[in-house]
Amino acid sequence: MPGHVLAGCPDFIGVQTLVSDDLEIIRRVLHGEIDRFAELIARYQQHVTRIVNRHVPSDRVAEVAHDVFVRAYTSLSSFSAQTPFEHWLSRIAVRTCYDFWRTRRREELPVSALTTEHQSWMDHVLAAESDDQFREQSRKREAAELLQWALGHLSAENRLVLTLVHLDGYSVREAADLLGWSVVNVKVRAHRARQLLRTLLLERKRQEDDTAQG
Amino acid sequence: MTPLKDDDFKKIERALADAHRSRQTPQLGADWSFRVLRDIRREAGGQGQSMRSLGLDRLVWRTAAVAAVLALVFTGSVFLYTKGEAVDLTALLSGEFDATVPLE
Repeated sequence: MPGHVLAGCPDFIGVQTLVSDDLEIIRRVLHGEIDRFAELIARYQQHVTRIVNRHVPSDRVAEVAHDVFVRAYTSLSSFSAQTPFEHWLSRIAVRTCYDFWRTRRREELPVSALTTEHQSWMDHVLAAESDDQFREQSRKREAAELLQWALGHLSAENRLVLTLVHLDGYSVREAADLLGWSVVNVKVRAHRARQLLRTLLLERKRQEDDTAQG
Repeated sequence: MTPLKDDDFKKIERALADAHRSRQTPQLGADWSFRVLRDIRREAGGQGQSMRSLGLDRLVWRTAAVAAVLALVFTGSVFLYTKGEAVDLTALLSGEFDATVPLE
């Protein structure tokens, strides 16, 4: 949208006000008014929680979001205001999630953790003919659990890239910016992670078919 | 067994992506914000202490640098002013050494 159109738009003015407010709060926090940081927490708590919730288990969201804000505070002096604070905070959130998986011992869920309901879920998805049927399947608990099972088999790097690019729908360039990696690295990892996911699903399907035949 | 085709994979991936996006975002209460702010204040306290010790370190090193420069200037000036009287100075020093001979 061209700048002269945006200038008259109330949303744009609101965003501009928010950005300048953020800068003022940050300036005050850096000058020792630490309690003003509470305003940034209140303003961006939902945003951070939403990002963190997409990457870590639900019961760890509060803890990781906590770490995100503490990290944001400790590196606040490095905030250059070249990008909006919200975007800068998003990078910290994604990198904190990456660190969460990197430092955590990988706990691969065994195939036995999946029930026959999980096993037949893929068949139901493939058999879904209408959008409603498809949506109904994707809303099922089995879908989320199967996804967690598959992600549990991936390394922290592959997991983050797969989630950002293939599940959240970020472009390779956006994901690279959030993670602080090169575009080529993200592209290669995204491809590799997707192949790994497909291999896992294929194995899952094969086992399911073998069980059905046996 | 029916092999999965590319379209099948895409369909399953789309369903998994939908499941991923429909995750409910948990609400973090006021207690959570309070705890975050408390830890930030603690961090700020730690940072303040380290800043103070960093300030002290800087002061020590700056003083050391100034002292070294002053010592050089003093040595230089002593050397310049006593250049013509080097012999006298040697004599003075030798006299001083002589003076250190134990008195009987």
